[in-house]
Amino acid sequence: MTNTKADIKAVSNTARGNILAKLKAEVNGADYDKLPKEIPYDYPEFSREENLAQFISELEKNHAQVIKTTKDNMAEVISEQLAALNITKLLYGDNDAHREIINALNSKIESQVYDFSIDNNKEMLFNECPAALSSSRCSIAATGSIVLWPDENEPRSLSLVPPVHFVIVDANKLHADFASLITAQQWQDKLPTNVVLISGPSKTADIQQTLAYGAHGPKALIVLLINI
Amino acid sequence: MQQLNTQHLRDYPKKPKQVYLFGTCIVDSFFPDTGMDAIELLEREGIEVIYPQGQSCCGQPAYNSGYKDEAKAVAMSQVKQFPLDIPVVVVSGSCGGMMRHHYLDLLGDDPEINNFCQRVFEFTEFLVHVLRLKPIDQGPKERVALHTSCAARREMGVHITGNKLISQLANVELVIHDYESECCGFGGTFAVKHADISAAMVADKSKHLVATDVVRYVSADHGCMMNINGALDYQKQSLRGEHIASYLLNRIKGNSSKGSL
Amino acid sequence: MKHIIEEESKYAASAKAFRANVTRDLGNEELRSNFRGAMDYLMDKRKGAFSSEEELEVLREQCKLIKQRCLAKLPHLLEQLEGNLEKNGIKVHWAETITEANEIIAQLIAQKKGKSVVKGKSMVSEETALNDYLEERNVECLESDMGEYIVQLAKEHPSHIIMPAIHQNKKQVAKLFADNIEGFEYSTDVDTLIQQGREVLRNKFCQADVGISGVNFAVAETGTLCLVENEGNGRMCTTIPDLHIAITGIEKVIEHLADVPPLLSLLTRSATGQAISTYFNMINSPRKPGEKDGPQEVHLVLLDNGRSQAFADEELRQTLQCIRCGACMNHCPVYTRIGGHAYGTVYPGPIGKMISPHMLGLEATTNLPTASTLCGACGEVCPVKIPIPKILLRLRQESVKPKSQQPEVMKGQGAGRNNVEALIWKVWAQVHKSPKFYALSMWGLTRFRFLMPKKLGGWTSVRTAPKPAAATLHERINAKQKKAKQEKQSQHGRG
Repeated sequence: MTNTKADIKAVSNTARGNILAKLKAEVNGADYDKLPKEIPYDYPEFSREENLAQFISELEKNHAQVIKTTKDNMAEVISEQLAALNITKLLYGDNDAHREIINALNSKIESQVYDFSIDNNKEMLFNECPAALSSSRCSIAATGSIVLWPDENEPRSLSLVPPVHFVIVDANKLHADFASLITAQQWQDKLPTNVVLISGPSKTADIQQTLAYGAHGPKALIVLLINI
Repeated sequence: MQQLNTQHLRDYPKKPKQVYLFGTCIVDSFFPDTGMDAIELLEREGIEVIYPQGQSCCGQPAYNSGYKDEAKAVAMSQVKQFPLDIPVVVVSGSCGGMMRHHYLDLLGDDPEINNFCQRVFEFTEFLVHVLRLKPIDQGPKERVALHTSCAARREMGVHITGNKLISQLANVELVIHDYESECCGFGGTFAVKHADISAAMVADKSKHLVATDVVRYVSADHGCMMNINGALDYQKQSLRGEHIASYLLNRIKGNSSKGSL
Repeated sequence: MKHIIEEESKYAASAKAFRANVTRDLGNEELRSNFRGAMDYLMDKRKGAFSSEEELEVLREQCKLIKQRCLAKLPHLLEQLEGNLEKNGIKVHWAETITEANEIIAQLIAQKKGKSVVKGKSMVSEETALNDYLEERNVECLESDMGEYIVQLAKEHPSHIIMPAIHQNKKQVAKLFADNIEGFEYSTDVDTLIQQGREVLRNKFCQADVGISGVNFAVAETGTLCLVENEGNGRMCTTIPDLHIAITGIEKVIEHLADVPPLLSLLTRSATGQAISTYFNMINSPRKPGEKDGPQEVHLVLLDNGRSQAFADEELRQTLQCIRCGACMNHCPVYTRIGGHAYGTVYPGPIGKMISPHMLGLEATTNLPTASTLCGACGEVCPVKIPIPKILLRLRQESVKPKSQQPEVMKGQGAGRNNVEALIWKVWAQVHKSPKFYALSMWGLTRFRFLMPKKLGGWTSVRTAPKPAAATLHERINAKQKKAKQEKQSQHGRG
């Protein structure tokens, strides 16, 4: 190591030029219209009921807890679940629907809205937020996946750091598979800072192929399925 | 239609009057009985077998060692030995795969080479798909295992044809050994260059075959059998492998067969 | 301006030691049993993930063509990716060599006065030996994937690209934790072990100022970095620290967002038999104004390190189709026997045999392409249909080709050439292409079979030597035909 540092901008520029030149020399004059046709697998169509059943079964296989409920009952379900887990505090993303639920929660439950920047609040987020409530944008039946589309009101870490994650899933927003979802919603046109597909609680099989849950993220994923 | 993982599936010709036999270099020098038995079996089915005396080796040893030019010279000399437009039956799935699939790559896709490759059939493939052989089993009741060489399995589909032939033998129970589809560890010069890895593999293969408690196992490749039988002999096991040509012939004739070593 | 002095990868030395590594690891019974158990588990998982053979084959063909299309357009997609990432606020850096990549990352960290890094799983950062580089510059690097964490604690390298600590069993991990983590009481209960790891690592996520991750797919059309993971550590590394640096190989770029679902589906099912991983994380930009978390800065380092060499040859280019699922190693009888460390390379197993020669040169990796029976189990399961055995054959050809032969396709061309061996094959070809010479040599082999040695090197260490027949098939058939002819003639004479 020396004291004079290489200028990484210059290094990167030179590398860029060399790499692209080498690659371009090989594909020069290629006719992309002559590439072979890619044929996707033609998946059978499923009914709404079949998709729902598949969605639930995949999630349960992955140790998520799926609770069929209604908009009006959600507060009660969450209160019960928190009581069973011995948790008295819930972090939530700020929106009207959540506020309504929070207001109807058991009065013993302390609620906290995620309206702070993570920068000076990491310790609190990691150590003092045992559970969180988030919404979801839509979901995917084939793989039992829930699509989260975080924004300023529902930060990314809301669904990641607290050990228990409650997520509201609207059965009317269930898509058959990931491919058809991307096409239906034309995701390529506009994506937020981050999108995440969640298909269960955090897990690992890194020690002797033995599954263990709660590796780093939530140990429990509790899906509140509404509008069935 | 999508191309499925079955490159061995092909259009099969009607039963011919004549075929060529490609004996392979291993059979030629170490296991000529196999060649004689294959010929007898084909002749019993009314087929005249032509064995060009100019044949030697398919070229695979050099090809697999990276010596493409040397492999090419030998491969080309073999193609010249089989000029008639009749099937070339090969008593090894591994050599068969070489001649059917790799010659195109090695010798270039010209009409003569292409015609030759199209005429190459692995022995059991030929019995099942061209001859549609229904062997009448006259042998005693027994249990056997089947080991399929990897090239035979993945390039020629022999795990299906070999299995079909054995399964048609009324008095024979086919026993599937553990890790049936796993390689025996032969791999030509691999067994020399990486002798210790090869040894570990053949130790497992022979262990799994012995565990079936059969009196013999059958295979369509002498390469694997030289490896496995050599290991079994070294371990002083009584189990031996026998080439499927000899095994079938003996079952049909009602002879009790012997393992080859 | 100071130039970067390229350091030789530390893996060149360990790859050269392949033969010695194999001897060491073949003799380790515990290791052998750990691998056999793990491979059985993974093969079983994959098998259970595909209910229909037809779906599998259609998907494999589709994914092969997707990757081939993306490679055919590679330079343009890289430019498009760069443009869209920059538009999204993600800064892009290019590196031809591992040292360049390391230096770029080191300086990005230094600019932010970063002292502590948490890493999500990244094989490319293993390839560059980034941890060593940063630690020499007083930056603490902690691996946060459970398997990687174990491997780092043990001062080892991953032995598998998906399951880095697959060579250890739970007893070994328990001992490792007890020896290295203060206050941990020895336990072989996997839940307890994982909870212990969780505790240590969550503290680190909270404190680290830099997160480093790999990338599974980089989508050119949208400027999206996709990460596939189960644990959540990848999300932690890319969400909690202020600075996120992603590093990936140039071959990871794909054209469309719509290319993701089939590739993802085959990746997770081929790797661990999962329909999808627990998390599929799509990163498009750093934190935007008003957002409450996420890194303030996101960087992507694009690494070549031999990939453009593979790209330059149409056949070898297929190597770059790889999506790093690990199915080839899970099904490889050689990998199952010797384990991941014996290869001495970052990427073990069949995929490692194909790409390591491009990264390290054939001089260091001569033994890798030959360490295969060409059984084809890898090619059969490869989700993007890389013809692995064929590429190994090709590498063997490059390895024994005269050094002087042009064009030079690879670094280290001809490194495996041995004049005696080359001569043997020359003579072999002369004999086998000439019926006369061949007949003579076979006659010699069978007539002098009593001279056949009882010991044949490694062959007879576990096998008896084969015995040539008394007469060749050629001779037996000749004799049979002669006899038939005589019989016919004598019958004719009598009649």
